[in-house]
Amino acid sequence: MVSPNVVSIVSKVIKDIKEWNIRSSSGVAEVALENLAEIVKLSNSVKDLVENVTYVANEIISSRPTSAMLINSFREVLLTLKHNLEENVDFKSNVSLILEKISYLLRKSREDTEKISIIGANRVVHGDIIITATYSKTIMKIFERAYAQGKKFEVYVAESRPGDDGKIIASKLSKMNIPITLIVDSAMRYFMKDATKAFLGAEAVAANGAVISKVGSSLLALAAHEARVRVFVASSTLKFSYETIFGELIKIPHAPERTIIDEETKRKIGEKLKVEIPLLDIIPPEYVDAIITEYGVIAPQAIPILMKQIYGKWPPEFPDIQTLINEVKKCLQ
Amino acid sequence: MSTIIPEDVVKIADDIKTMRIRGAGRIARAAALALKIAAEKYSGRKEVSDFIRYIDKIAKLLLSTRPTAVSLPNAVMYVTSRLKRAKPATLDEAISLIVRYSNEFIEYSKTATEKIGLIGSRRIQDGDVILTHCNSSAAVSVIVHAFKQGKNIRVYATETRPKFQGYITAKALLSEGIDVTLIPDSAVRYIMKKVDKVIVGADTVAANGAVVNKIGTSNIALAAKEARVRMFVAAETYKFSPATVIGELVEIEERSPLEIVDEKYLRENPNVRVRNPAFDVTPPEYIDTIITEEGLIPPQAAFLVLMEKFGWIIQDYFVKEFKLAREEYEEWY
Repeated sequence: MVSPNVVSIVSKVIKDIKEWNIRSSSGVAEVALENLAEIVKLSNSVKDLVENVTYVANEIISSRPTSAMLINSFREVLLTLKHNLEENVDFKSNVSLILEKISYLLRKSREDTEKISIIGANRVVHGDIIITATYSKTIMKIFERAYAQGKKFEVYVAESRPGDDGKIIASKLSKMNIPITLIVDSAMRYFMKDATKAFLGAEAVAANGAVISKVGSSLLALAAHEARVRVFVASSTLKFSYETIFGELIKIPHAPERTIIDEETKRKIGEKLKVEIPLLDIIPPEYVDAIITEYGVIAPQAIPILMKQIYGKWPPEFPDIQTLINEVKKCLQ
Repeated sequence: MSTIIPEDVVKIADDIKTMRIRGAGRIARAAALALKIAAEKYSGRKEVSDFIRYIDKIAKLLLSTRPTAVSLPNAVMYVTSRLKRAKPATLDEAISLIVRYSNEFIEYSKTATEKIGLIGSRRIQDGDVILTHCNSSAAVSVIVHAFKQGKNIRVYATETRPKFQGYITAKALLSEGIDVTLIPDSAVRYIMKKVDKVIVGADTVAANGAVVNKIGTSNIALAAKEARVRMFVAAETYKFSPATVIGELVEIEERSPLEIVDEKYLRENPNVRVRNPAFDVTPPEYIDTIITEEGLIPPQAAFLVLMEKFGWIIQDYFVKEFKLAREEYEEWY
C-alpha cells in the first residue's frame, strides 16, 4: 500500500495535468519526474520503493496516455529499477541509482530543448511571419533564440482553446519584444495567407510520422498545407512513441467541461447540453514538412531511420510499459 | 427645401446602427418597414419628384447605418427601384407603391427562412450527425424541420469565439428537444470524422459563389472538404450581393480586441496586437450547395440568382453608375 502522502502528491500532479495547468508537453514529463524523485526519496524499503514507483507510473501515465515522453521517461526509470532488483542492489544504492536516472532524464529534456532551439532558430529568416498555436516550451525557445540572433520576424498565435494558451504565449513574446498578434482559433485560415511558416510543438510522434499535438494543431497544419505554408514540428526523440511501432493506437484524452464553459452558463443554455473537448488531435505526416529533433531536421516519414541510428537497430528493443510495470512488480515476489 | 424625416424612421436607423436590431433578416425587414413608415408619414410638397427625392434621402440614411450588411441595400433597393421603374403619375400612387413593395419584401423575407428549412431538411437523412457554426436562423430552420419530420439527428455546435453565438444555436436546438454537443472551434477537424453534414448560414454570397460568413466558417469548410463531408450553406436570396457582380469586394469588418481579451490583459500587455476579423471567405469549391428559398443551387451559379432577383437593379444602379464613372473618367483625360 502506498502512503497517503504519496497519493496526495500524485493526485495533485494529475489534477494539474488534466486541467491543463501544465501547458507544455515536455513540462508534463518534467513535473512528473520531479515529483517521482520526491516520492522515491520518501520510500523506506525496497518493497515500498517498488510499490511507489509502479503506482506513480500507472497513475500518471493513465492521466496522459498520449504523452510519449512521459511513457519513455518512466520506462527508463522502471528499467533501472528492474535491473537493480535483478542484481540485488541494496536499497540505498537502488534509490540513488534511480535518482541519478531521473536527473539524467531531466537534464536530457533541457539539453534537447536547447539543441532543438538552435536548429529551429536557423530555420527562421528575416521577414518571416510565423503562425503558431498551443504552448510549447521548445517553440518559445526557438523564437527567443532567433530574436537574439537579430532576426526580424513576426508571430501570429491562435488563442488555443481550451486553456487559452495563446494569451500566455502572446504576453511572453511581447515581453521579449517580438512583434506578436493574437487571433481566435477560427481565424487560422483567414491569416494563413499572410504567414510564411507554421511552427508547432508535439505531445508524441507516432511510428508513421504522424504528430500528436494539442487540439487545433491539426487544423493549423491543414490550413498551412492548403496555403502551401511549411509546417515545422519541434520534438525531442524522447517523444517518439515506441508503442505505435507495434500498432498501438493513441487514445485521445478529453478535458473537463469547465475548461470552456461554467455551470451557470450551461444551465442557461439547457441542462441537456453535452460538451466535448478533445485535448489533442493528430496531424497526418503529409501535412508536416519537417520534424526538428535534437539530432537535426528530418522528414516525418524518416523516423524509423533516425530510430535505427540512435538505437542501432529497428525496431528498437523496448518492453511495453504495462508489461514492464508488471515485471517490476513480479521481481518483488 | 428639406423634408423632415419621421421620428420612427430615425429610431429604426439608430437601432440598426447600434446593433439593437441584428441578424441579416431582421435588419432587412426593419429597413423595408422604415421605408413604409416614411412613405405613410410623408409631409412634403405634393409632387412625385419631391417624394422620390425624399425616399432617396431615407434610403441613404438607412444604407449608411451598416455599410457591410448586404441584406440592407437589397431590401432598400427592392423597394425603391420598383418605385422608380413604375414611374408613378401621382403622389398617392407613389406612396401606395412603396407601401406595397415594403410589405411584399417583408413577407418574402419572413417566409424565406421557413422555405429554406423545408427544402434543406430534405437533404438530411435519418441518423445524420450535423455540424453547425455560429448562429444562423436559416441553418437552425433546416435542422429543426428535419428533426420534426422524425429524423433522428445529432448536432455539434461550435462555441464560436469570440462572442459565443454557438450558445444561441445550442439553446434553440435544445428547446426543440434535439441532441446538441458544444465543442471548441479548435476541435472542428478532430470532430469532422464523426460528422455527416455541415450546415452554416451566410452573411453575404458573392457573384462567384464565395460565401462570406462568421470567422471560422472557412476553417470548417476546409476540414469538411478534407474529410469528404458535405458542406451546405443556407442563405436567403437577399444575402446575394449585387455589388460583387461589378467587381466590388466584400469588406471584412475587424472588431474590437475587447471581444477576445479583457481590458486588464490589454493594459498588462500593451505590445500584444489583437486582430479580430468578424468574417471570413469560403471559396465556392468548398461548398456543395447553397440552399435558398427558391431551391438548391451550386455556389458557382450564384450569378443566376443575382440576375433573376436583382438583374435590373444591377442594370439600373450599378451598371449605370459604373458608366457614369467611366464617362467622368474619360472627360478628365
